[in-house]
Amino acid sequence: MVIKAYLLTSFNIAWHIQNIILAGIILLILGLLVYMLSYMYFKSIYDKKFEKWSLISDLLIRKAIFYDDDEIEDDTLIPVTARAEKLMHNKYFRKLLVTEIISAKKNITGISADNLKHLYVQLGLEKYALNNLTSSRWYIKARAVQELTIMDMKEFVDQLYSYTDDKNDLVRMEAQSALVQFNGFDGLRFLDTITYPISNWQQIKLLQQLSHLPPSDIDMSIWFKSPNSSVIVLALKLARNYHRFELHDDIISCLDHSDPWVRFEAIQCLTEIYTDETSDHLISRFLNEILKNQLAMIKVMQTIGTDRDVLFLLDLLTYDSDEIKIFAARALAQTSKNGLDSLLEYSGKADQSINEIVMHIKGEIAA
Amino acid sequence: MSWQTFILHFFTYGILLYSLILLICYVLIGAFSISETRSYLHKNSFTDYRLLASSTETPSMSILAPAYNEGANIIENVRSLLSLHYNNLEVIIINDGSKDDSLEKLIRAYDMYKVDFFVGQQVKTKPVRGVYKSYNPVYRKLIVIDKENGGKADALNVGVNIASNDYFVCIDVDCVLEQDALLKLAKPFLEGANQRVIAAGGVVRIANSCVIEGGRLVKVNLPKQFLPRIQTLEYIRAFLLSRMAWTKLNGLLLISGAFGAFDREIVINCGGYNTNTVGEDMELVVRMRRYMEERDEPYKVAFIPDPLCWTEAPSTFKILGRQRNRWTRGTIETLRFHKVMLFNPRYGILGMLSYPYWLFFEFLAPIIEFFGTIGLIIYCFTYAINWSAILIMIGVLCMGILYSIFAIMMEVLTYNQYKERKDILRLVGVAILEPFIFHPFVVWSAIRGNIDLIRKRNSWGEMTRQGFAAEKKVS
Repeated sequence: MVIKAYLLTSFNIAWHIQNIILAGIILLILGLLVYMLSYMYFKSIYDKKFEKWSLISDLLIRKAIFYDDDEIEDDTLIPVTARAEKLMHNKYFRKLLVTEIISAKKNITGISADNLKHLYVQLGLEKYALNNLTSSRWYIKARAVQELTIMDMKEFVDQLYSYTDDKNDLVRMEAQSALVQFNGFDGLRFLDTITYPISNWQQIKLLQQLSHLPPSDIDMSIWFKSPNSSVIVLALKLARNYHRFELHDDIISCLDHSDPWVRFEAIQCLTEIYTDETSDHLISRFLNEILKNQLAMIKVMQTIGTDRDVLFLLDLLTYDSDEIKIFAARALAQTSKNGLDSLLEYSGKADQSINEIVMHIKGEIAA
Repeated sequence: MSWQTFILHFFTYGILLYSLILLICYVLIGAFSISETRSYLHKNSFTDYRLLASSTETPSMSILAPAYNEGANIIENVRSLLSLHYNNLEVIIINDGSKDDSLEKLIRAYDMYKVDFFVGQQVKTKPVRGVYKSYNPVYRKLIVIDKENGGKADALNVGVNIASNDYFVCIDVDCVLEQDALLKLAKPFLEGANQRVIAAGGVVRIANSCVIEGGRLVKVNLPKQFLPRIQTLEYIRAFLLSRMAWTKLNGLLLISGAFGAFDREIVINCGGYNTNTVGEDMELVVRMRRYMEERDEPYKVAFIPDPLCWTEAPSTFKILGRQRNRWTRGTIETLRFHKVMLFNPRYGILGMLSYPYWLFFEFLAPIIEFFGTIGLIIYCFTYAINWSAILIMIGVLCMGILYSIFAIMMEVLTYNQYKERKDILRLVGVAILEPFIFHPFVVWSAIRGNIDLIRKRNSWGEMTRQGFAAEKKVS
């Protein structure tokens, strides 16, 4: 009886709960509908307003770009209309103006670009950007770093340096790019100290920035000893891209690194930076490598291999892995005349799969 | 209170409890989705994809597009794939023993010849009859494979064996991709510095009534037909809410077979696509995750909310029913293959959250809903109307509508593909009608999927499509 009474009370409570939940759900549906429709309504109003503001900022930017003084001085004032000056107090207008200035600055160089920077400083926009650097929101902080970089505000480089090891990946990426933008290869000094990994995406970005600069003999040896694997990987890519032959021994030492990512990049790097002994280094480590790195090693040997490596490559044709066999056959065919002859001779005695591989390789060569 | 009443109450409030937990899940999915989408949009605003387009460091990609009797549109579809913006790309079309003239058309249109090609067997497959390449250097990216019919999974496995790149993107050959789709899909693989990104999925959107010219999407329109329009809402809900939320938790189990990118090395290590299930897309992702968990290697399955892939949705109940039947069977088979993970802490989020969610709220939900509705009808006919049960039913319906309207709101606030206010109102109308017209049919198809699985009927189910050209005429 007690259990029954208890259950009855529970069911009554549940009845009330479900009523409340149902009412709540219906209210939420209505609330969401009102919010969504209001959003669309106000957005259409704001879009019209933004269109007008866009015209004002376009005019301002055009004035700066086509400012007719030959050389703009620090105290020169680019004319700003009273309307624009008044709107500068509106943060949404400022945001729009900065976006448009940045977009224009990215696509122009020379005097026009200097004029845009002048306009940016004249309007005091850098102060807002500096203020945003202290924001607790990562995207505001990252946007501020990006803004100062694009606007070429070199005077804040020391301030930006502290963000190169920020806990947020976007903030540190932008800060690292800023340093490279301002100081070229010397800007890479942040690699000496950073603790967070540099993603492949960021590496692509940094390498692309550096590709516009003349090559440099910057000392990279310290980066090969970094406890941060991604720093070593970036150093390896730099060594490869800029043909830093003097780093051959450092690269070879990376073949024994514990991180397979570092070893992979080191192997790739040896395609460009090698000596007569490089193949021996690869062969001696081949058995202990993971498949991906073994394939990379064979691919390197395709480029740097000599007659000395033919026996090793022929031995690979006995492996179980189809990928190793086909990579080895390709390397043999391209290493030397002796390699191709050995491959053809071997295929005469080998099983059907090797013959198919040889036919495949012949087809590749013919194409 | 009689025992009969007690049992009635017990089931009624059992369903209430189930609905409450589902409601909490929906609220959490909404919250996580907002957080993940905001974060993605902020990050994306810093991204310059031109960098990837011009860099030599871009990861190499192979597109795998299985084709079975796609002769009607295959030439245009392949042309569309060849025109994608990506540097380091090969396009592999796998003719899975088509009975039509797909292969002959491809050979003629792209000036192809049979090459001596060694096909490795990293993953076991049905025999390959021939590999074709083009004489014309313009089509040097294109490889066509002719193989014996073995189903979509087997065709994809052949593609995995032949692909020469680090990552592959599997797509349905009749999908229309945005020009920068591959650039956007490649980026997550470059971002994983601390954890290996093993797969990345993208949003699939409904292309019915959209304007497609020369294999490119020219104008987005809300589908004019009722069924595709409802599926538009369904896809927004699934991709913009559910998958984004699971991505936030790193617990995503499904990347659509229509458009997803995978790390080839991990796929091969896992044994490739499973040919014994009709849900090969979900099964592969679950198996890859399980593989990484068992090796204690940090990993991530990424998902990007940009609308990158457009597909034609079924516009008849017959074809839709087949599709949903198959999806149900695929889900059950996948859950059955990997049942060891259920509430197994060794598998982390995967075992403690993702798998149980799919079991209780994706697999069981239609069954509970079906029997709940049958029970309610029986009560009504036996004059034992239970107002509590009816209220719960109304509550569940309203919950569904709320969730749909929230999804529409997310769409408006983020990508806003349907810019006309009347289109949004139409979507709201669809959200209100869906629980009464579309949802019961989906539940019934799921029940039929369960029955077919028990009766060991495991056919793929023919998916006849109108084709975009035909659609254009309709519109």
